[in-house]
Amino acid sequence: MNTLPLILYAAAGIAYAIHFARRDATIGRAATTLLLFGALVHTFVIGMQTMEVRHVPIANPSRAVSSFVWLLTLSYLYLEMTTDERSMGVFILPLIVGLQVIPAIYPGMESQDPVLDSPWFWVHISSLLFAYASFGLAGILGVTYMLQFKEIKKKHLGYFYTRLPSLQILDVMNSRAVTVGWIFLTLGVLVGVVWTAQARGVAPNDPNLKAMSLDDPKIFVAVVTWAVYSFAVGARRALGWTGRRAAWLSTVGFAFAMLNFLAINYFVTTSHTFY
Amino acid sequence: MHLFLLGVSHRTAPVDLRERLDFSSGDLSAAAEQIAARPSMSESVVLSTCNRSEIYVASDDPARAREELVTFLSDYHHVPAQTFQPHLFALENSAAVAHLFRVAAGLDSLVVGEPQILGQVKDAYQTAAAKHCVGSVLNNVFRWSFGVGKRVRTETALGEGAVSVSFAAVALARKIFGRLKGRQVLVIGAGEISSLTAQHLRAQGVGDIVITSRTHAHAEALAAEVGGVAVPWDGMVNALGSADIVITATGSQRPIITRAQLDAAGHRRSAALFIIDIAVPRDVDPAVGEIEQVFLYNIDDLQSIVEENLSKRAAEVERAESIVNEEVTRFMAWQRSRSAVPTIVALRHRFEAIRASELQRLEGKLAPLPPDARARVDDVTRLIVEKLLIEPTEQLKALPDEETQAAYTEAINRLFKLQQDEDSLKRP
Repeated sequence: MNTLPLILYAAAGIAYAIHFARRDATIGRAATTLLLFGALVHTFVIGMQTMEVRHVPIANPSRAVSSFVWLLTLSYLYLEMTTDERSMGVFILPLIVGLQVIPAIYPGMESQDPVLDSPWFWVHISSLLFAYASFGLAGILGVTYMLQFKEIKKKHLGYFYTRLPSLQILDVMNSRAVTVGWIFLTLGVLVGVVWTAQARGVAPNDPNLKAMSLDDPKIFVAVVTWAVYSFAVGARRALGWTGRRAAWLSTVGFAFAMLNFLAINYFVTTSHTFY
Repeated sequence: MHLFLLGVSHRTAPVDLRERLDFSSGDLSAAAEQIAARPSMSESVVLSTCNRSEIYVASDDPARAREELVTFLSDYHHVPAQTFQPHLFALENSAAVAHLFRVAAGLDSLVVGEPQILGQVKDAYQTAAAKHCVGSVLNNVFRWSFGVGKRVRTETALGEGAVSVSFAAVALARKIFGRLKGRQVLVIGAGEISSLTAQHLRAQGVGDIVITSRTHAHAEALAAEVGGVAVPWDGMVNALGSADIVITATGSQRPIITRAQLDAAGHRRSAALFIIDIAVPRDVDPAVGEIEQVFLYNIDDLQSIVEENLSKRAAEVERAESIVNEEVTRFMAWQRSRSAVPTIVALRHRFEAIRASELQRLEGKLAPLPPDARARVDDVTRLIVEKLLIEPTEQLKALPDEETQAAYTEAINRLFKLQQDEDSLKRP
C-alpha cells in the first residue's frame, strides 16, 4: 500500500531534479503537483491503516517510517509554499524516496502490545516523528548551506550559487527547523521517561520496560541526539554559532537521529521492540 | 507598404557622431510626428539610446524615404549629411524586422543581453503611438518584438549574471544576505566604482551608508551623492564594527584593514561580513579572508566573475539568435497570411455574387417549390461555394514568400476578374 506514494514521490523527485538543473518554472510546478498528489495518496494510506488498527500506525518501525516520510513531505511542502523556493526539493526528495522504500518493501504488522495502549504513547511517538521531520529539513538546509558557503568563500561561483537561495535565508530556515525540532524532541523524550515510570507500575515484567535505561543503544543515542541539538540551539544564541557551524551541527544531529530511527530501531535495540 | 529602417548604432558610427544624432535629449514624439508627415512615409517610430538612433518607417517607396530621412536627420540635428551618410545603415522588410527583433532581444546591444533595451523599445513605440504615428505596419512589428524580447529573456540565459564589477558585488551581497534591507554599508575611500556600488546598494534598500575618506571633503561629496553619512577617517575602525558590507577603494600603499584591526573593531564573528576590496594595491590584508564569516573579494575576483558571466552570455547568443530567426519567419508568414485576406474576401464576394445572380435568374422556376425545398436549394448552393473556397483560402494564406504571393494574387485577379482597387489588395 505504501508503493503508490513511493512512485509519486519518485516521479516528483525526478521532476525536482530536472527543475533544479534546467531552472524551468513549468517543470517546478509539475514537481510540486506530483509531490502534493503523493502526499494526498499517502494521507489516504495512513488513514486506511488507522482505520484498520484503530490508531495511527506508528508502533511498528516500518509504519513509523512511513508516517515519518509523510510528516517530512508535509513539512517540506509547508516550507516550499511559505518561502516560494523550490530549489531544496532536489535535496529533500532523495531522503523521502529512500525512506519510503522501507515501508513499501516491508509493510510490517502493527503491534498489539497492551503496554502501548496509553495516551502517552501517541504524544511520545508523534512528537519524535515530527522532531525528526524538522531535523530532516534542517539537515538538508545545512548541507545546501555548506555547499553554497564553500562556493562563495572559495570564489568559485558555480552550479549551486546560481540555484540556491541566499545564505542568510538558508541559515534562518535552518535555525527555525532546528528550534522546532528540538522542542518536539524534548517533549517526546520527557513524555517517554514519564510514561516508562508509569508503565512499570502497571506491567513490571514487560521485557521492553526492563530494558529502558541509558545502556540501551536507542535511548543512549536519543540522549546524544538531544545533546547535539541542545548544543546547536544554545550555541547559536550564546556563542554566535550561526551559518556554517550551525549548518554542520544540524547535519551531524540528523545523522544521529537517522542512525537511531533506522539502524538501531531495526537491529540493535532491546527496549523498543513492540512487534 | 514596406517596413524601412535607417539609423546609426555603435556598430556603424563612433560615439561623437552618435551623440550628434541623438534624439533622446529632445522631444521624441515631435520628431516622430515630423517624420510621419513627410510625403513618402506614413508611420514612424524613433528609437534613440546612447548606442543607437534608429528611425523605423512605413513607406511605399523606400528609396525616396531614405532620401527624405537623410534630409530630415541633417536638418533636425544641424549636421551636414555627408558627415553621417557613410555611417548609416538601411534595412527593409524582413531584414528590418530581424534587426528590430535582435535589438529588442538585447542581441545588438554593446553589452549583450542588457535588460534596459526592451523597455527603451517599448517607450519609443508608445511615444510614437501616443502621437498616432504608428499604423498597422509598425504596430504589428513592434508588438511582436516585445514578445521576442521577453521570449529570449525567459528561454535563454542571455541576460543572466552581472556584467559589471559593481553589479557583481551587489549580486554577491544578495547571495550572502538575502534581502539587503537594513544592512549597514561602510565605504572607505571615494571612487567611481565605490560610488556606483553604493548607489546600487542604496537601490536595494540598504540601511545606513557610512562613508569615510582620508580627505574628508571627498567623503562628504560621496555621502551627498548616495544619501550616506560621512564620518572622519579615525572613526573607520569604529564603523567597521557595525558594518555588514564594506567597500574599500583607497590609494593606500599598505593594507588599511588587517585581521588585528577587525578584531579590535569587535566585529562579532558570527555575523557575516562582506568586504569588497576594489583598491589596487589591495586595502585589505588577505588574512582577513580566513576569518570564518568574512567573505573577501578583491577587484580581480570580481573582474573574473564578470568575465565568466560575459562568456556565459556569449554561449547563449546562438540560442537567442535562433529564437530571433524563428520569430522572424513566423512573423513574415503571419504577415503574408494577413495580406492574403483582401484577395480571399474579394474571391468570396465574387462567388457569392455569382450564386446570388443565378438564384435570381432561376427565381421563376424556383417559385413553385415549397418553402423548405426552397431553403434547401439555398443551403446547397451556399455549401458548394464554401467548399470551393476552402482550399484556395488555405493555400493563399500559406504561400512561402512575397513574390509567389504577388504572382498568385495576380493570377486569381485575372482568372476570376476580381473587381477591386489596387490599394485594398496591398494593404495587409
